[in-house]
Amino acid sequence: MIIDINFIGLIIASIMASAVPLILASCGELITERSGVLNLGVEGMMIIGAISGFALMTVTGSLIIAIFGAMLAGVLISTIFAFLTQTLITNHVATGLALTIFGIGISAMIGKNFVGIPGKEFPVLFEGLKDIIPLLGPILFGHSIVFYFAFALPFITSYFLKKTKIGLIVRAVGDSPESASNQGINVRLVRYACILYGGAMSGLAGAYLSMIYTPQWIENMTGGRGWIALALVVFSTWNPIKILIGAMIFGGLTIIQFHMQAIGVRIPVQFLTALPYIVTIIVLVVISRDSRKIRLSTPSSLGKSFHKDN
Amino acid sequence: MNTNLKISNVTKIYPGCVANDNISLEFNSGKIYALLGENGAGKSTLVKILSGVIIPDEGKIYLNENNLKLNSPLDAKKNEIGMVFQHFNLFETLSVFENLIIDSDEQRESVREKIDAIMKKYNFSIDLDIPVLNLSAGQKQKVEIIRCLLRSPKVLIMDEPTSVLTEQETSELFLSLKKFSEEGILIIYITHKLKEVMRLCDEVAVMRRGKLVSVSEIKNENIESLANKMVGQNLKTIKKKKAKTSSDQLIKITNLNFTSEDPFETNLTEINFSVNRGECLGIAGISGNGQSELFQVLSGEIISEKNSIEFNNNYIGDLSPQERREYLMAFSPEDRLEQAAIPQMKIFENVALNNFKSSNFFNNGLINENKIKEHSKKIISDFNVNTDNIELKSQFLSGGNLQKLIIGRELITSPDLLICFNPTWGLDVGAINYIHETLIKINEQNKSIILISTDTDELLKLSDKISVIHKGKLSKIMNSEEVTSEKLGILMGGAN
Repeated sequence: MIIDINFIGLIIASIMASAVPLILASCGELITERSGVLNLGVEGMMIIGAISGFALMTVTGSLIIAIFGAMLAGVLISTIFAFLTQTLITNHVATGLALTIFGIGISAMIGKNFVGIPGKEFPVLFEGLKDIIPLLGPILFGHSIVFYFAFALPFITSYFLKKTKIGLIVRAVGDSPESASNQGINVRLVRYACILYGGAMSGLAGAYLSMIYTPQWIENMTGGRGWIALALVVFSTWNPIKILIGAMIFGGLTIIQFHMQAIGVRIPVQFLTALPYIVTIIVLVVISRDSRKIRLSTPSSLGKSFHKDN
Repeated sequence: MNTNLKISNVTKIYPGCVANDNISLEFNSGKIYALLGENGAGKSTLVKILSGVIIPDEGKIYLNENNLKLNSPLDAKKNEIGMVFQHFNLFETLSVFENLIIDSDEQRESVREKIDAIMKKYNFSIDLDIPVLNLSAGQKQKVEIIRCLLRSPKVLIMDEPTSVLTEQETSELFLSLKKFSEEGILIIYITHKLKEVMRLCDEVAVMRRGKLVSVSEIKNENIESLANKMVGQNLKTIKKKKAKTSSDQLIKITNLNFTSEDPFETNLTEINFSVNRGECLGIAGISGNGQSELFQVLSGEIISEKNSIEFNNNYIGDLSPQERREYLMAFSPEDRLEQAAIPQMKIFENVALNNFKSSNFFNNGLINENKIKEHSKKIISDFNVNTDNIELKSQFLSGGNLQKLIIGRELITSPDLLICFNPTWGLDVGAINYIHETLIKINEQNKSIILISTDTDELLKLSDKISVIHKGKLSKIMNSEEVTSEKLGILMGGAN
């Protein structure tokens, strides 16, 4: 049997495409968590992003408005979370769960009128280069702008946290909001900003799903990807590069197990479906075993409310 | 240039407590000022007002005749008031250098040069590129000081700086402070330790219950006069009578080892000691040298080999804390609110916690509330806990009252051995005296104590024998009469 080398390239490209929403949402949540805020509403923010993007695209016809509108929708819904947890000092976990439930509900309501409407084609970059180089061509070229942004994001995030002043301040706030406050850092402002950024990235992840990955609106179309993104953040021990690895493994196994099911491999379907979850967690746990590094990268104040007393 | 700092009629009221009652004080550079008072006297509130962390209800602050508006820590920094807090304001997981540049607007390289210059000038040696959590308490304090010095402050405020330091580190700190003072930095030193005031400061202001009691020059004061001003009554000094030497062995630790998987815990290596009935064994050391691990091994929070701990002729190394209590051991852990009591639970509920097996407290799995309440009232009156409401959540008790409650809870079962870890940490003089008297009484009843403490004075006062723990190893056991605090200090630093 001769396997077309470009076919392998296409499979790898499809794996990468399926990793995109996970990378976007995880890297956003990573910044939120690094500032000490645990936002369990990723799934809710993603689905809001998905419906907003799709709805705006259908109504306005503009892809740019749709993409930025989806991010803005993510920002707006995360503002509710920020207001509740940072201004009214509610519990992070409960508020995040409520946000997810809220997001799923409201997206289904708005989405009723958009079921069955076909999506639009999203422009891809470097289409012409795709066939020039074998194998690498389909992997590197012919993708949407969001795709390239997603694969740059872990490196940008890593650089931001390690090398920039603002990144340092985010880490400091996550380490000890009390000390940060005593140093004159406005903890609430930093955390608001990080929550809103996380919302924007989740919104973008959702828009990628409904506008690029499968261009249509289906109720509950995020299908738990928000929860996977949250798990990736924790199991990667708050390391953006490991998020990239984890998202690729998860995306890869999801695609491969589809193909295996299609070929008719005689392994129970349930096991195949569970495989990506199990392997991703095992791999991330194994590559993140250094307890010293875990201690250094875990935001000590994660999930704890900070209330400045006067 | 001369610096003049004036606090004028500052008042800060919290619900149910006047933290600062119309305080006026004046400071001039060239001198080191002490602000002396017990816990809760209001000195921390006052310095937090000076550093912009707390905004006063009334009153003004003047620096060189300028009225300062201190609405945030940033304002204090801009006005060149530096502050080293009692609880360090460092970011444990960031590197030393990252901690130092976080509030600087300058280029990394130029800050690094400045830091190097400061370290050279004052003989500090700290690796700038390791995370802060790998530093000792003394080094962390130096990082805080460097952070202040980077802003060339006019005023430097030190809040209880020696509570985590060894003797040597304290001496080094005092040398640095004197040097800063000579260079024209106004130093305000907050403490409740009288000896340090006498040793370091030129002038002393005493606070009590939110009020300024006196301002005087050190040369007109002595330890007794300051103590009386601070407490507001004449303090009796307690002394322990020399215990009758008994040879009746109660507990024997043989070849005890503990290897932790957590790199931030200390391993214990070859711990050997024994305690006789009626004796108090003190274990000195700088915090973080294996004390909490040793406490956990002794209390059964960490299980060790069965034969490594022999208590009353039983091998109990593999027993849990509850099982050890049945052999008449009792424990008072270091962290009162995290380990010894549950803050959200009521006083009487906390009293029941160390005694699940008691048929008095529990009948067929049901709580006998009346019995527990009766028992709690007895503890409260016997151990002088200053509350009459046993329904109060224990988080609302002051440190001293909570410690009395915990010691009372442990002692009411009349144990043969009490193991306590920093029992008087952070308490005021009155409560410390009470706890010390109680511990002495235990020994007089021919019962034994293992006292793990970072307070050398306390150890010298209460122990019959003393050993020093350093990096998880115990020094040889010495009779306490042969030991001085200087000698302990040397051993605590790791010398033989």
